[in-house]
Amino acid sequence: MKVVPSRSSEWVSPVTSQKPASAIIEIDRVSQVFQTSARKDHLALSNISLTIDEGAFVSILGPSGCGKSTLLYIVGGFVSPTSGVAKIKGQAITGPGPDRGPVFQEFALFPWKTVLGNVMYGPRQQGVRASEAEAQSRALVEMVGLKGYENFYPKELSGGMKQRVALARTLAYHPEVLLMDEPFGALDAHTRTRLQNDLLNIWERDRKTVLFVTHSVDEAVFLSDKVVMMSKSPGRIRQVIDIDLPRPRRRNELLLDPRYQKYVVDIERMFDESDEVGTSS
Amino acid sequence: MMSPAAVLKRAAPVLACIGLLAVWQAAALVLKNDSFPTAVEAIRAIPDILGDKEALINILASLRRMAMGFGVAVLFSIPLGLLMGRSRAVAAFFNPLLMVIYPVPKAALMPIIMLWLGVGDITKTLVIFLGVSLPVIYHSFEGAKAVEEKMLWSGAAMGLSSLQRLVRIVLPAALPEILTGCRTGLVLALITMITSEMIARQSGAGNILFNALDMGQYDTVFAMIIIVGAMGICLDAIFERIRARLVRWSEPQFDMPLSFS
Repeated sequence: MKVVPSRSSEWVSPVTSQKPASAIIEIDRVSQVFQTSARKDHLALSNISLTIDEGAFVSILGPSGCGKSTLLYIVGGFVSPTSGVAKIKGQAITGPGPDRGPVFQEFALFPWKTVLGNVMYGPRQQGVRASEAEAQSRALVEMVGLKGYENFYPKELSGGMKQRVALARTLAYHPEVLLMDEPFGALDAHTRTRLQNDLLNIWERDRKTVLFVTHSVDEAVFLSDKVVMMSKSPGRIRQVIDIDLPRPRRRNELLLDPRYQKYVVDIERMFDESDEVGTSS
Repeated sequence: MMSPAAVLKRAAPVLACIGLLAVWQAAALVLKNDSFPTAVEAIRAIPDILGDKEALINILASLRRMAMGFGVAVLFSIPLGLLMGRSRAVAAFFNPLLMVIYPVPKAALMPIIMLWLGVGDITKTLVIFLGVSLPVIYHSFEGAKAVEEKMLWSGAAMGLSSLQRLVRIVLPAALPEILTGCRTGLVLALITMITSEMIARQSGAGNILFNALDMGQYDTVFAMIIIVGAMGICLDAIFERIRARLVRWSEPQFDMPLSFS
């Protein structure tokens, strides 16, 4: 499994030739073992090493059960690795912090707070004055396309709208890294496409570092600068592929671009070869 | 204008009461038993009780003990239940204790408590406290356990400490469940209040009821039952108002029309 198929060697990038970006996240030989039953251990992640450059949009792509979310949780500080270390800006990660903002598939909004209340929560916690936090949050709510819904409660919103609120809530406290855990996985295809477009528009404005977990090949190629392909049992990095497509990316242009199509087809083929992704979504 | 269906829905509880009273009246007239007064007789006795200063003082004393027992129980049980729901160690410690106490009728503990603390307010308030605590602990525990992990992670990423997460995320997220427990607790408070006064006869609404029973004043007995029942309905309606206001944000739940709200 470690052998790189020769045909795809063109994707393997030895040290990137572009401007030398500085690493913001370093994952160094991280392994994660979960105890599934009294005597059985499950090796969820095996010896993962990965460096993420500041300002890069990196997707972690793999079949379900390959530990890709676990890897994200380790970077978030929500889960401690069994061995190895994850670092942000050279500092070992010991717990969650406002420098890393998560966006979950389950939205995880505070249901007792309105849209505005949810978005203001982080800034208020950081000690931003109420009036200032409100002004910033209103602007963010507008940016994610929810102007007019400020006083709605999460239960009154659709899934896509909830995820927009979750994104705004996380952006509100200015994390340096966005950790997105299959954020569009629970949405229907149409909503999903719209949110991908909107996420790209927002991201291309300020180019925050994004670590994006997904099992969708299209989504990973469309959004990312770099796709980390993982294989399962045990979860390990199979290959890292640079997506060399121009930005800003427009969906209607990109889908017709043969380079985009080649990335998608090649990645799908690589998964098919090991039969790890039956049908890619 | 309300639709006929809405009018019927509003009037249904009132109709149910009138129906109950009518059945009672008819049954009493048919049975002609001295210890079973008619509904009209019982209702006529109500103003006598409520007009009597001594009786009012008794009833107010009952309500004071009940409020005290309920309030302290809620203040004690919610934090304990939440801690149990979020910490396995705390749950492992308290769960067996609660399982032992749970099936014991709290009134059965009264004679022992009376030996220790006398027949005064403290004993009765303590019994009410015990009666209310368990459902509130249980529902707080269940509510805290069900709080989505990712919601807590989101809070942690914003910089909330574990105590802040308990107070500012677990508590509000579990509030609908906690208030369900409190509502059960409120009814139990009323029940234990009357039972405690039945065992330690000294003052209170229960005392009036059982004294009247001893003296064969059956209209007063039934009048007291109506008064206690009405108190329960009113307290529950008030509580339901407050509850609905506090958890307006949560999913609408199927609710039995127990109250007149």
